[in-house]
Amino acid sequence: MAMKSGQRRGRLSWLLALLVISSASGALAAELPVYHLTIKDGTFEPAVIKVPAHTRFKLVISNQGPGPEEFESLELRKETVLAPGVTRTVVFAALRPGSYRFFGEFHPETAQGKIAVK
Amino acid sequence: MSNAIFIVWRESVEALLVIGILQVWLNNREQARMGLRFLWGGVAAGVGLALLLAFIMLRVQTELAGAALEYFQIGMMLVASALIIQMVFWMRRHGRTLKRKLEAGMEQASSRANWWAVAALATLAVGREGAETVIFLYGFGMSRTGLAQLQFFAATAAGLGLALCTYWLLSRGGRFFSCRTFFSCSEIVLLFLAAALLVDGVDRMIGLGWLPPLLDPVWDTSALLDDSSVAGSLVASLTGYRAHPALLVLLVYLAYWLLITVFLRHSRPSQRKTA
Repeated sequence: MAMKSGQRRGRLSWLLALLVISSASGALAAELPVYHLTIKDGTFEPAVIKVPAHTRFKLVISNQGPGPEEFESLELRKETVLAPGVTRTVVFAALRPGSYRFFGEFHPETAQGKIAVK
Repeated sequence: MSNAIFIVWRESVEALLVIGILQVWLNNREQARMGLRFLWGGVAAGVGLALLLAFIMLRVQTELAGAALEYFQIGMMLVASALIIQMVFWMRRHGRTLKRKLEAGMEQASSRANWWAVAALATLAVGREGAETVIFLYGFGMSRTGLAQLQFFAATAAGLGLALCTYWLLSRGGRFFSCRTFFSCSEIVLLFLAAALLVDGVDRMIGLGWLPPLLDPVWDTSALLDDSSVAGSLVASLTGYRAHPALLVLLVYLAYWLLITVFLRHSRPSQRKTA
């Protein structure tokens, strides 16, 4: 009996975990505002991205090359490497108003940008 | 071009620190030599992991796969951090008694488990940063032609040379300084590295919205040392420094050092007793 209820509890927690995961991925797929960022020749376009405060959002980063780039920001807690021709989507947690800088690690002199949160 | 040299060096310095320190430690202990095989096996597996990850990063374009990759990276950071801490304390405990215990057959099982941990740590250390280096080299190598490509490969070779110099200095460090000085220094370096990995992992989880930042940011020290600058980001990846830390990150960092200090205090007297 004890084993059975233990098993049931085990199965239940698996179900719960699945639920949490699926709802999390559901939240991912939910319609978040989408912004685009293009990397070209070691520069970001646009250099300033305006987003609303306290809202989750998606940033679709595409690297048009030539050459790879690493989108990095310790302030925004993101780091992602993009080979030339690669597009990646990054989901950002809700941000407080302010200005958050990001840069391209492989072209730190020219690849500078920021996300302006209002 | 100096950019390429620096990036190759930077991406490899973390792995070099971990592997170099482990190698010196294992080399200096006759009974621990067996661990060297695991260390180099781990490095080889790490190169494989780096290539595999780089391949996935090149291919991954869908959002779901991108998210999975990010979760995997967070997992790698946290596991690497835990393995480093485990290794530091293992080295501390067994620094002097390993030989005797191995001879007495007391430590067979635990040291075998530890050799696997050595291998796993080497794999993660090389695989994690190595993937970025592979993409960097592949992407730039492809995008350049003729003389520029030659120059690029020269710069890459220089970066690798610089990395090997760092490694050489590190492994010679064991001879320049007394064993004791070298190991108390390397212990601190490793513990800071583990702290940096922990902070990075927690930070990424805040970035995903899994953990609450509590108060964000607590302060802004970017005027003092900007973590977006070249020097600042190097300091960040070696110590866990943040110019705009969230309160949660700060608490985790403080709790980490508090626990480590307690454990270090605790492990010292027992070392004396057995010595």
